[in-house]
Amino acid sequence: MRSSPGDSGAPRILLSGNIMEKTDIPPLLIVGCGTWSPWFENWDAFVAKVSGGELEEHGLKAPAASVIPGTERRRAPLPVKLAIEASTQACAAASMDPAQLPSVFVSGLGDTQLTDYMCRTLASENKALSPTRFHNSVHNAAAGYWTISVGCMRSSNSLAGYGVSMPMALLEAAVQANSEQSPMLITFYDAPVAPVLQPLLHNRHAFALALVVTPTSALDAAEDSKALGTLRLSSGAGTSSWPKLGLPAPLKECYETNPAARSLLLAELLIHKNKDNPVTVPLSNGTHMALEIS
Amino acid sequence: MLFRLMDIRVITYESTSAAGINVSELRRAIDTRQSGLRRNDLPGSSIDTWIGKVPGLEEIELGHWQSRNNALADLAYRQGELEATVEALKTQVGSHRVGVVMGSSTSSIDRTEQAYTELDDGSLAEKYRQAQVHNPDGPALFVAERAGITGPAVTINTACSSSAKAFATAARWLTTGIVDVVLAGGVDTLCLSVLHGFHSLQLVSSNPCKPLDRNRDGINLGEAAGYALLIDADSNPELADQFRNVSPGASVSLRGYGESSDAHHMSHPHPEGAGARSAMLGALATAKLDPGEIGYVNLHGTSSRANDLIEGKQVADLFPSARASSTKAWMGHTLGAAGITEAIICIDALHRDLAPGTLNLDELDDGLELNTSPENTEIPLKYALTNSFGFGGNNCSLLFEKHLR
Repeated sequence: MRSSPGDSGAPRILLSGNIMEKTDIPPLLIVGCGTWSPWFENWDAFVAKVSGGELEEHGLKAPAASVIPGTERRRAPLPVKLAIEASTQACAAASMDPAQLPSVFVSGLGDTQLTDYMCRTLASENKALSPTRFHNSVHNAAAGYWTISVGCMRSSNSLAGYGVSMPMALLEAAVQANSEQSPMLITFYDAPVAPVLQPLLHNRHAFALALVVTPTSALDAAEDSKALGTLRLSSGAGTSSWPKLGLPAPLKECYETNPAARSLLLAELLIHKNKDNPVTVPLSNGTHMALEIS
Repeated sequence: MLFRLMDIRVITYESTSAAGINVSELRRAIDTRQSGLRRNDLPGSSIDTWIGKVPGLEEIELGHWQSRNNALADLAYRQGELEATVEALKTQVGSHRVGVVMGSSTSSIDRTEQAYTELDDGSLAEKYRQAQVHNPDGPALFVAERAGITGPAVTINTACSSSAKAFATAARWLTTGIVDVVLAGGVDTLCLSVLHGFHSLQLVSSNPCKPLDRNRDGINLGEAAGYALLIDADSNPELADQFRNVSPGASVSLRGYGESSDAHHMSHPHPEGAGARSAMLGALATAKLDPGEIGYVNLHGTSSRANDLIEGKQVADLFPSARASSTKAWMGHTLGAAGITEAIICIDALHRDLAPGTLNLDELDDGLELNTSPENTEIPLKYALTNSFGFGGNNCSLLFEKHLR
């Protein structure tokens, strides 16, 4: 079976298969990054906190997600706001027009609060559902609100990859960026799980991280130099466990239980870089992904 | 935009819906113009509508994978040559070189609904403690397990465009060399969430649906599962030829796809069909084809007032000479499985040189000048296009080509 979101990380880099058999994906530049969690409201705050600051909660229940127009924002559920906040930050950091970016959104667990609402209502005598909450319950609600809010008519994807949501979305976006020679927005987001489902899907934390990536050939040299890092990915035979990260306690739990927060690995590599020393993460029952940011 | 032409060979394919448990039965339903729709008798639902229900799913036992959605995915996987072909390909290339891309709208929420009717002091009863079922990636998790596939597996959940987009993702994985084979598909089952949800949006008809008809008054929901086994014939020509197509005289390939967003509304289509048009043009552009070369267009054609008029106008404008139809009256709108179901209808239309008609059509909408009819048409076909549009304004068009040997 694929590793579940609740699995704790074993020692890193254990390859059981033939590591020679791998597929390299052409490198991508990371040109923008955004993030939100109960402990940091943006990328700069994240960098400050993991570099030795105190990891205290800022007290906000949800991000502003101010790019969503007012009426719609009041209707937008937490996972949508998480995704849109991180996406907006990443596009701004990349100085890219969000309307021009194809996107890949991924949530490993979906909107379990809405699942809980719908299933409770449907288990009751009066089964009438709110039309707004019904259309908000689609897994691509974040992609929908995003494209509507920023006027983006490009392709938008919405994936679910359970415990391997992070590497699956990264793979999807990298493959699309290269095969279509286009910059891409990748947004990882997951919200706390409704109490009834929490014994199964353990996540208790809100977390989102978004990256804007672009094929190296799509930018000129001047643009290249402004990049936050170069991302090299390959997929290969043999599975892997998750690397352990030296994170403060609540963030460590978030990394291990929130499928989107597996992207904290990318954040760590963006700060510390791991040139020529790829880390491996599970991609499926029989494959892994190797990741390097330089 | 892709820089090289794609030739993603469809090795074999299967479909299960109310119109038939497999492709042979689907053909028979199309030929005899027999709809699979029936009055709503889904347990627990009193909504006055018609549904496309697959019989026998209740009898399929899957242990800790149990859900109606997984039962339907399992039933479809057992049809035709599919399982045997997957097994042979796994032996040839290794199970880790086979990928799974599933599309679904509701995944196994049918099971979560059921679990909530039997909560034990507010907690899930023991038999419902199925983490791998109660999550949106359930379909790919189950299919990878069922088929013994260990390569990358993912579920695309973009509502009703989900399993059309599965083809686009599969094509990119194959041309990039992530895997040698992709089992692409989709599955969505009838459940209370969708019946009551679409009812809350006043989109459900109390009559058998009449796509494109001037008197259409809403959709009928259905359930379906389907799969297409795909190989990139450019990078893997020997493998593609070795695993010959189900039809001895010809082969069919995915030649283009177009993906777009409406940027308009969560549940209403763009009023001018801008996103729909962009998806169709995208599919033509990747295939480097002119609209005039397309012989058959399978519309999303849900039988909703808004969709059929908006989409129908764009199809009529772009493809005035193509035969066009909506096949939703055979099995209902199967949501996340509509993309695979209608891709298979197109692939089969190419193999058979038979364009299905628009079942239940009496009088075409006054606003449409579409080349469609209720009757099936025997006509030589080389290229066919299918549309799938979903909530959130998520659009996908697929373009298939038949090569004669």
